[in-house]
Amino acid sequence: MDRRAGWRLWLPLGLMLLFLLLPFYWMVLTSLKDRTELLNTPNPWWVFHPSINSFVDLLTQTQYPRWFLNTLYVSVGATALSIVVSYCAAFAIVRLKFKGARALSTAIFFSYVVPPAILFIPLAEVLVKLGWFNHLWALIPIYATFLVPFCTWLLIGFLRSIPRELEEAALVDGASWPRIMIKVILPLSVPGLISATIFSFTLSWNEYLYALIYMFSSDNKTITVGLTTELMRGDVFQWGQLMAGSLLGTLPVVLVYFFFVEYYVAGMSGALKD
Amino acid sequence: MSDFNRRELLQMTAAGALAVGAGARPALAADYKPMFDVEKGASLQLLRWTGFIDQDDKQWKINTDAFTKATGVPVTIQEVSWTEIQAKSGLAAQIGSGPDVIMGFYDDPFIYPDKLVDVSDVCEYLEKKYGGFYDVAKSYGYDTENKRWIGLPMGGPGAAVTYRESWLKEAGFDSFPKDFDGLLKAARALKKINHPIGLALGHAVGDGNTWCHTLLWGFGGKQVDEDNKVAIDSKETREALKYAKALYETMIPGTASWLDVNNNQAFLAGQISMTINGISIWYTAKQKFPDMFPDIRTAPQPIGPVGHATNFNLFSQSFIFKYSKYPNAAKEYLRFMCEREQMDPWVTGMVGYVTPALKGYADLPIWTKAPEITPYRDVLKDNHPDGFAGTPGRAAATALNDFVIVNMFADACAHGSSPEDAAKSAAAKLKSIYGS
Amino acid sequence: MSDTTTPEARPEAARPSGSLLRRALDRPNVLGPLLAAPATLILLILLAYPLGLGLWLSLTNTVLGGTPSFVGLANYAQLFHDPTYLAAAGYSVLYTVCSEGLKLTFGLGLALLLNRQFKGYRAARAIMLLPWVAPTVLSALAWNWLLDPQFSALSWLLIKLGLIHSNIDFLGQPWPARISLIIVNMWRGVPYFAMGYLAGLTAIPQSLIEAAQIDGAGPWTIFRRITWPLLLPVTTILLSFSTIWTVTDFQLIWTMTRGGPLDSTQVFTTLAYQRAINGGALGQGAAIAISVIPIMLILAIVALRSTREGK
Repeated sequence: MDRRAGWRLWLPLGLMLLFLLLPFYWMVLTSLKDRTELLNTPNPWWVFHPSINSFVDLLTQTQYPRWFLNTLYVSVGATALSIVVSYCAAFAIVRLKFKGARALSTAIFFSYVVPPAILFIPLAEVLVKLGWFNHLWALIPIYATFLVPFCTWLLIGFLRSIPRELEEAALVDGASWPRIMIKVILPLSVPGLISATIFSFTLSWNEYLYALIYMFSSDNKTITVGLTTELMRGDVFQWGQLMAGSLLGTLPVVLVYFFFVEYYVAGMSGALKD
Repeated sequence: MSDFNRRELLQMTAAGALAVGAGARPALAADYKPMFDVEKGASLQLLRWTGFIDQDDKQWKINTDAFTKATGVPVTIQEVSWTEIQAKSGLAAQIGSGPDVIMGFYDDPFIYPDKLVDVSDVCEYLEKKYGGFYDVAKSYGYDTENKRWIGLPMGGPGAAVTYRESWLKEAGFDSFPKDFDGLLKAARALKKINHPIGLALGHAVGDGNTWCHTLLWGFGGKQVDEDNKVAIDSKETREALKYAKALYETMIPGTASWLDVNNNQAFLAGQISMTINGISIWYTAKQKFPDMFPDIRTAPQPIGPVGHATNFNLFSQSFIFKYSKYPNAAKEYLRFMCEREQMDPWVTGMVGYVTPALKGYADLPIWTKAPEITPYRDVLKDNHPDGFAGTPGRAAATALNDFVIVNMFADACAHGSSPEDAAKSAAAKLKSIYGS
Repeated sequence: MSDTTTPEARPEAARPSGSLLRRALDRPNVLGPLLAAPATLILLILLAYPLGLGLWLSLTNTVLGGTPSFVGLANYAQLFHDPTYLAAAGYSVLYTVCSEGLKLTFGLGLALLLNRQFKGYRAARAIMLLPWVAPTVLSALAWNWLLDPQFSALSWLLIKLGLIHSNIDFLGQPWPARISLIIVNMWRGVPYFAMGYLAGLTAIPQSLIEAAQIDGAGPWTIFRRITWPLLLPVTTILLSFSTIWTVTDFQLIWTMTRGGPLDSTQVFTTLAYQRAINGGALGQGAAIAISVIPIMLILAIVALRSTREGK
């Protein structure tokens, strides 16, 4: 509506974006610099001899493509699992109101306060007992522990915003609850599901601690773990490749956001409505 | 996931096929004489630190492949950066599951000695064959209480002085000073010609700890005495702190936040004239900074008033967990890797970055290939272990990980405490750690 | 909760007939628990149970790989005499309060700016999310460069502008380090707030604002009287989630300073990790980590209360 937004929009917005993007500009510069230029330059804010060697080396000399696929696999898996499980739980809590639903929703919310930085030792014992150690797929349920509480909470909010009349009408027509869940409410929940999906995907994509601690084989590394364990060599860091890897690793998530950002906002706003 | 398992399976069967091809029944190559009775169907997982120099990992892998070829035992190597090793090995000890063999650092084996396989036989064999271990190496592997070896000392990524020859000459010195007095004089002269020195004072696991401990011990200070009683608040410590403060005043600003990577970068950017580091600066310059390379020299760390070298180095040892199903295979693997046929190319490949724990390897040709490499040959002589003069163990490890000594120096140098206060507050911290 | 109809209260005749299983599945008290079971199971096995183990650890003197014995609350009692812990607790609070305040302010500002459809607003919305989207470990490394004592491009710029004469030692002195970490944490969290507020703003009926405009209210009055009160529930939610993440933040500080210089940037999680993992004192580390949970519970209760009252 406000197409003639003048300097009062662009000045503060520009400054904010500048601040938010600064480190990324730096990443791009660094990924294009060779080591000599990184340390000796007349102007650190520019690259005078750009080269894509870091990208080439990253893709050919390291297992980066594999780390990428691993990350994709775990992120998609953890997201899918969390969304399905959370939608079921949220539907049960909001629409079915079975006995104990309220207590359950409170409990799920509270489970969010447990800090992973210490949970990982006792959790490791559980994983060993289950025989899940050093299996890449084990990261999927592990990530669900921090995705499910948020997704369930978000979907609870979203489902509440869907008018109750809809299902009442369906019930009068003789539809069963499972049918209502899938045919009536699910299509209406799409914006909420998209928000939850994007959110879960981002958190899984960037997870570091669990992936670092619980995976032992090199074949099981994710992007964050692979980059930090193989390119930070003692006291010599492969800065160009590290930054190239960060940029390439951020790209898919940015694309996802670029296409779904509107749904994300819509879904969140649905969840926040009364 | 079936895909990943299949890949692992493929690797294993490939190794197996190789062994079968070699003719021996389950595994062994015809001309290979194992020292240990390798378990049938054994396979090993090794967790090690990512090499400081890429040739390290490459050669290690080649040696490992040779082991697999000779014995038929496949070895999966996992690498994590050296600062994360502790987390993973600690977790393995706690939950009783994980890699069979871990290459760790410092006091690691002494934190969970009961969980480790006795490796006395390998150590004694190697000791006899290769001229014995350096004293410091022994203290990082030998459990004096129970009179047994719980870790096989591998070696230390050693620290030595790395400096710019032309600037040192310009400052009026023909060679690098051999004692602390000379070091301070040189540092002052270098500052005068605007080429300051730089030593890490942040939470740098390697580069912060090394020079601070060397200074402390060089003046005769120690964190605890032989009975693990806190002894840091002493005249010697205060002398060391006073000296460090004087040295700090000649340094480039900002060293208080330096982690291990910073001095390398500052040196290669030409911002500092001298630092104390592993051979990685020289090696990186050789590859990437041809202009600076001819000007870089190395020298042994200077000696303090106590009159002999008091070096402190990173140190790595290998240990085998009791939960391993194949302890003999693991011992055989470690023995194999420490034999000259493997050790020589390994150390040569990484131009002496890790100085082997066995004295016999001081004659490797690599040490004399360039004069800059030679100082690293001797870095393990006249060393003390961390927690000196006490015994290695959990308290020493905690003190090291809490950076008590480094923080004490940083406190006195960069954060305005008097030597007295810095030593007192370090003493308080050590008392809560050692519980005395 | 405003709605009063309970799902059970519906005409018996309308129930679908069919097998016993189908009829059972149609009963909310059967289907409900069934649907909630997977989420509950995951959280029980992988969260609640390990948490219980952690609680137990904190009551023992367990050391890595050692045999534990019960010591009661000794670990907790010891924390009150531990200067490093007290300092870490202090900085945790400061870190959280400051960065949350900044995130809220700038996030809201950004959302207000982005809440119109100017040319390129979609791109701007996507771009501003970058800090939130990029892996923390790696963006923290990029920040380390920008704040490096020798190679800081920020210091370089300030020197060229003539504002300072020598490099700022961002991470080497306690206060600059503390402040730098707060700024970086804010940098990472602003997009999350902006996004949430954008959603909150979209939910505000345009008619309300137009009505106020007709009544002659200026932008500031509209913001103070209409927008902000309507954003309060969103604020509580954003704040509580973000606070939980900030209090339990580990990667950012661990990557950038490891709690240094001089332990001035230790927080609960870094100290717990350092004690438990590097030092091997599992019991003590667990106690440090668990000492955070009461604070978090209070936050969670506040959040829960206000969202319910918002209904």
